[in-house]
Amino acid sequence: MHEVSLAAALLPVVLEIAAEHGTRVAAITVQAGELAGVVPASLELAFRGLAVGTAAEDAALVIETVPVRARCRRCGLEFAVDDVVFLCPVCDVADCETVDGTELLLTRVELSDAG
Amino acid sequence: MRVDVVHNVLKLNDALAGGIRARLRAAGVFCPNLISSPGSGKTTLLEQTLQHFAQEWRQAVVVGDLATSLDAERLAPFAQTVQINTDGGCHLDAAMVSNALEHFDLDEFDVLYIENVGNLVCPVGYDLGHDTKIGLLSVTEGEDKIVKYPRLWREADLVLLTKADLLPHVPFRLERFMDDLRQLNGTVEVIHVSSTSGEGLDAWFEWLRARRATQSATPAT
Repeated sequence: MHEVSLAAALLPVVLEIAAEHGTRVAAITVQAGELAGVVPASLELAFRGLAVGTAAEDAALVIETVPVRARCRRCGLEFAVDDVVFLCPVCDVADCETVDGTELLLTRVELSDAG
Repeated sequence: MRVDVVHNVLKLNDALAGGIRARLRAAGVFCPNLISSPGSGKTTLLEQTLQHFAQEWRQAVVVGDLATSLDAERLAPFAQTVQINTDGGCHLDAAMVSNALEHFDLDEFDVLYIENVGNLVCPVGYDLGHDTKIGLLSVTEGEDKIVKYPRLWREADLVLLTKADLLPHVPFRLERFMDDLRQLNGTVEVIHVSSTSGEGLDAWFEWLRARRATQSATPAT
């Protein structure tokens, strides 16, 4: 439950982009991996609270969940990880790198047309 | 207007962690990050570890808790210790560790242990500049914590099953624990330890020594 600190890291980046264009923020899109430990509703609540009085106060927050994917270190196969089972379908061993699913990325900022 | 970006929200943390790692490597300091639930035995294991290596290594500890300096007081007789109070925060981040390092002259140490805030969730996502992540699970917590809190066990280099002396007395399903762990992380090492009976401590000390030796052999990047 560290969504407040994540929102606190997110907000300045959003505000900086808004300031560069001299506008307010209409919406932002965040990609959160399934293993990122982010509860979307908590992140939204934290962001809303921190954004009060800023150019992002009225921004819609879109949180896209990124499924977990891994790449086997033994055979190189990239595969979807369901229910946190990281076994390679070919090798039947969980010796793999996590490719997706732990990230927390700001991917889009939509700015209000009226400044 | 739409602005497409790819900004890692933890970028600032990760950058700070990279700086910490570079400083530690430059000073030849090995840094394990210990993560577990509250009460699983991190501090007790550290007390014994610090005593064991007292003649061999110059050791320091950064310990995180929401409040109090109780853990730092426990560890202070054995090593230079800095307590970080997160004031309710659920994890240590790289900025806190970076500030704590101001208390140390890194050239005077061989090993810096980080005892993270007791929590199986939040500490896992924060790079602190450590060399290795070690997860502890006590047998009293139950084997289901592996699948319930998968990311720590997924990313750990070593899992210490603590309070192993209690295994005969608690309904901990060892086989299930190992099966679930292997589905998450097929290469992780597992050591059963008990700070009470002493079981497994030598294996833990040996793991730490070997890991540090591997680290020292790797040139700083």
